[in-house]
Amino acid sequence: MIEVGKGLPDAVLLHMGANGPETVNLSERLAGRRVAIFAVPGAFTPTCDSAHLPSFIRNMQGFIDKRVDEVICLSANDAYVMDYWGRHSGAIAAGITMLADHDGAFARATGMEYSSPKSGMLNRSRRYAMMVDNGIVTVFHPETGTGVCDISGGEALLAAI
Amino acid sequence: MTISVGDTLPEAHLLRMGANGPEAVALSSLTKGRKVVVFALPGAYTGPCSTIHVPSFIRTADAFRAKGVAEIICIAVNDPFVMKAWGEATGAAAAGISMLADSDGALTHALKMEFTAPPLGLFGRSNRYALVLEDGKITHANVDAPGVCNISTGEELLATL
Repeated sequence: MIEVGKGLPDAVLLHMGANGPETVNLSERLAGRRVAIFAVPGAFTPTCDSAHLPSFIRNMQGFIDKRVDEVICLSANDAYVMDYWGRHSGAIAAGITMLADHDGAFARATGMEYSSPKSGMLNRSRRYAMMVDNGIVTVFHPETGTGVCDISGGEALLAAI
Repeated sequence: MTISVGDTLPEAHLLRMGANGPEAVALSSLTKGRKVVVFALPGAYTGPCSTIHVPSFIRTADAFRAKGVAEIICIAVNDPFVMKAWGEATGAAAAGISMLADSDGALTHALKMEFTAPPLGLFGRSNRYALVLEDGKITHANVDAPGVCNISTGEELLATL
């Protein structure tokens, strides 16, 4: 579970490097840093593509102004899909890091697993945003409905930090 | 089953992107009474799939149609949102290639074509193969070894017709 005041389960995520997918140890990445993380059900899906990702792209300067070291977009897609989605959407150009929870292990470990078989979405993640200071969750904004991006959006997280 | 000329493909429910989102399509509804080409690959946006495999069928699409092929179908173990975006990004959709998602990998599993490469973050994906089906029966089959894109290209399949 994700709880304010607590740490996060360790996870090995994937990031696209110059020579292919590279592993990222989440706890190492979070140690001693202020990191905003938002998780989405899937690359190229309507709400993620049209609302959630853009809300962080347009608020990047605000996060930098509030001394956030890194903004990470997390999805249970593979690293290839995440990299292309990041480039296509402008997220990478805006400075957002696209990380693949490729096997959905982090979504499972945090109790945020989500599936919608009729849409072909299996073992994905619920939509949420959180602020993590030195590995400890300081703000947690899970989205309550499906197909909406409100409390988990960039504006709401920025206002809460 | 494995893939052999003379066999009939197992029934499978794949997903494609319709006007209102993902919709299920029975593979048999696409193959019954028709001559179709089916090619499968490890994943959308992965290197050889995007740069070699899909382009080879874009180049040969008209030649297949000239030989009576009614539909060219690309199958991958991705979700339909990713398949749609990939079809647009590669030009496959514009070339008239149908992008179908074996989102739960059921068809790939039934064909014993599963491809897994943990360092790349790919699990339960598909080996590369290219088939010609007539009324659901396999008349030509070019199946590549895992990780290779050699005989499953459009040109190689076309040369067998």
